[in-house]
Amino acid sequence: MPNPLKPEKSVVTTCAYCGVGCGFKAETRAGKIVRMTPWKEGKANHGHSCIKGRFAYDYYNAPDRVRTPLIRASIDDPWKPVSWQEAFDYAASAFRRIQAKYGVKSVGAVSSSRCTNEEIFLVQKFARAVLGNNNIDNCARICHSPTQFGLTNTVGAGAASQHFDSILQADVIMVVGANPTEGHPVFGSLMKRRIRQGAKLIVIDPRKTETVESAHCKADVHLAIRPGTNVAILDSIAHVVVRERLYNEEFVRARCEVNEFENWTALVGSDKYAPEVIGPLAGVDPADIRKAARMYAGGPNSAIYYGLGVTEHSQGSTGVMCLGNLGLSCGMLGREGVGVNPLRGQGNVQGGSCLGSWPHVFSGYRFVTDDETRLSFEAEWGVTLDAEPGLRLPNMLDAAVAGSFKGMYIMGEDPVQSDPNQHHVIAAMKNMECVVLHDLFLNETSKYAHVFFPGSSSLEKDGTFTNAERRVSRVRKVVEPLADYQDWEITVKFMNAMGYNVTYNNPGEVLDEIARLSPAYRGMSFALIDRVGSAQWPCDENAPEGTEVLHRVKFPRANGLGAFMLTEYVPTAERTNDKYPLLLTTGRILSQYNVGTQTRRTPNSMWHPEDVLEINEQDAMSRGVSDGHWVKLSSRFGEIELRAKISERVNPGVVYTTFHHAKSKANAVTSDLSDWATNCPEYKVTAVDVVRTNGPAADSVQEAERPRIDELEPAECA
Amino acid sequence: MWSELRGLKDEIDFGTPPRDGSPVPLEIDSVAVTVPAGSSVMLAAAAAGRPIPKLCATDMLEAFGSCRVCLVEIEGRGGFPASCTTPVVEGMKVKTQTVALQRLRKGVLELYLSDFPESEMADGWSEFHETLKAEGVASHPYGKGGANHFEAPVDASNPYFLFDPAKCIVCSRCVRACAEVQGTFAITIAGRSFESKVVASQDQPFFESECVSCGACVQACPSHALVEKSLFEGEYKHAEPAEA
Repeated sequence: MPNPLKPEKSVVTTCAYCGVGCGFKAETRAGKIVRMTPWKEGKANHGHSCIKGRFAYDYYNAPDRVRTPLIRASIDDPWKPVSWQEAFDYAASAFRRIQAKYGVKSVGAVSSSRCTNEEIFLVQKFARAVLGNNNIDNCARICHSPTQFGLTNTVGAGAASQHFDSILQADVIMVVGANPTEGHPVFGSLMKRRIRQGAKLIVIDPRKTETVESAHCKADVHLAIRPGTNVAILDSIAHVVVRERLYNEEFVRARCEVNEFENWTALVGSDKYAPEVIGPLAGVDPADIRKAARMYAGGPNSAIYYGLGVTEHSQGSTGVMCLGNLGLSCGMLGREGVGVNPLRGQGNVQGGSCLGSWPHVFSGYRFVTDDETRLSFEAEWGVTLDAEPGLRLPNMLDAAVAGSFKGMYIMGEDPVQSDPNQHHVIAAMKNMECVVLHDLFLNETSKYAHVFFPGSSSLEKDGTFTNAERRVSRVRKVVEPLADYQDWEITVKFMNAMGYNVTYNNPGEVLDEIARLSPAYRGMSFALIDRVGSAQWPCDENAPEGTEVLHRVKFPRANGLGAFMLTEYVPTAERTNDKYPLLLTTGRILSQYNVGTQTRRTPNSMWHPEDVLEINEQDAMSRGVSDGHWVKLSSRFGEIELRAKISERVNPGVVYTTFHHAKSKANAVTSDLSDWATNCPEYKVTAVDVVRTNGPAADSVQEAERPRIDELEPAECA
Repeated sequence: MWSELRGLKDEIDFGTPPRDGSPVPLEIDSVAVTVPAGSSVMLAAAAAGRPIPKLCATDMLEAFGSCRVCLVEIEGRGGFPASCTTPVVEGMKVKTQTVALQRLRKGVLELYLSDFPESEMADGWSEFHETLKAEGVASHPYGKGGANHFEAPVDASNPYFLFDPAKCIVCSRCVRACAEVQGTFAITIAGRSFESKVVASQDQPFFESECVSCGACVQACPSHALVEKSLFEGEYKHAEPAEA
């Protein structure tokens, strides 16, 4: 056998998968990608990789990628392949006709967290400067929106306080509702490296995840709480911190609002949050709560990492505030080795959040109603901008059903699959006169679209991603776009067809525009990133190569002080009863990525060909269920069938499944409750029951009534 | 800080992880160089532009000292210490290219070559191939009839990479990458001496083992024994058995 063929060319770029944002060298031979190898100088991964970024790249070349623009007059017609110009003209004239007939605000746009910063920025510019309204939204709303809300209200910035490497200075690592070794594997490896060096580990998670125990890595404390008791357990930890006077009084007096601290100590210090009260409620030993609290407060450096297990609850924002409060009270902010850090699911959730893809704010979370900010954008863009906030995606859909909203430009999202009420979304889609979908693959939404722009994968374009540690890294074109244009070019050409004249020679000029208009990105440019490799925002004249650790001197709030929020525990309305005695929680597995749009088109599916229900032996035995049996999982909202797997990872009373395969429809059973502050859906707690069945008949597989919001293709959030 | 991670360079393999210690001056082949305390002689040599040949060493992994290719001479010390496991000392004078060293290295490399499929030599571009070329070793004096691993079965169970034991030099880089970089500890060396071999979990196919397919072992392998399937056109075939 000959030796392997040597790649001819290598391009450094950023992985398209999770929020770690690993640097890769994409190697090609004869214009085709033959290998992705981790980049040793990548500051998020230091030469390491996981199964997804390293190997699961071939989806880009999948046979069902759409390679030509498509149009049709009616959704009942077949698609007609056309030239790009024809597609742009068709879409532009439809939007202009709709606006002339139904008003300026009868159209809008949606962007995605898998697009580059430049594309996200251009799509919101399309809505604001070209359509002339603020009808722009994106999916970051529905996964880590509680992070934005909860952290902004405590430490002042809705982003990770640290850089990943900071964990190598941590003495105590507290992981809450996250499973980094599966969801953020390269960061998980870094965490394990630190644990092998002797750092202590606290895990708060209903499930005994791989993070809890694996080779040479074992949690010192695992609080296997009942799903839905996050806030109670975090308040109880705070109770111990307060009652045992473990807090950092010097830090609180110097850096925080002392009155609020005192209000907070009065609340969490009350007897109702004593471990002896909360322990039985949450299903954990009170002694372990005390141990966790003492360990965290004792540090000397304690760092918190959390995921959707905190945010996707009816008290998701409260849970995030609990973490902010804990960090502040123990002085675990503002230096290396500490911090409160969300682990972001998608490659560019942080960028999606920062860059103004919201109906009420411009980039940097500055309100459209603020005259000064709006004027700066008007000066740059040469048009008058609407001062009234626009519609969120759900509101756009409501307005479509009502008949006042008639056209939508959707880049990289699949609302028909994503919205909590599919019938409602379909009704909305059918009621619109022109839906322009811009994506890699035909998806559920394309059934109701009139124009399809075939997009480019991240291997086919230039731009930047912002990862979970605020790090802006370059995405570089490795192969030519399969459908001729990079996504940013498509959006610009669509703008031009709409009659808005703007030219960019390359997306670096879009980043320059972002830098001119957004304080945190003021120093960002392709040139800077090419020179230093990557840079974390804020990046400006005070931090010309970016900022690794936030909050060193003060918190980015008006008075510079950290704030304590009151975090009363309110149990979710979703409760178990005789009919639904078990609690379902959901999560991810290493080899698949979200709904699997990319990974299911690769051999990664060999590891995880279907979603299974993990169930404790005790619950399984009492139901006559053995390993591999088909079971029906039913809740107040729906039912699905899947195979059971007897597992010690879940306690009696709790079952668990993943949501990577659309056919298993895990979303059909999850509750429709959502976070009180941000409407982030409560996917992590649903009362269910499990009964053994003979398996689904071939023709009666459950259809999803209500797909979960994060089943977006390819734009779901996390 | 964290030089082990942040000091890595894409185009250079220092051989052992970069360190943060205070500066230590020394001489490599009369070239003055200063490196942080805790660095190896191998790293200092790379920094001095006098890279030392190596097989089991790479800068993403702690030194291991098994391949015996990186031997050097140090003034005032006896023998031929491995440069990867020898820390720098102020004022140290190191020689990397004496006649004695060249003879030793050649001998070691010939032994490796004697159990490497001849058919895999011609167009190879792995670190092993490059090292042999750089040291001018193209043949060995041990004949073709000796014991070898040429017919050990290829493990192609993983969809993305394969393991061909015929090309394995048992340097343990894969084992150490799985442990140190990935933290999964799925790979080990089973057996002793000539019987020693790389195995996943309990001598299982990679796909059925605890392997999480992160690719760290493939990245670390110096001889393309662990290699991406995507680099081959058509199906992978085992090396031709050596002619007796």
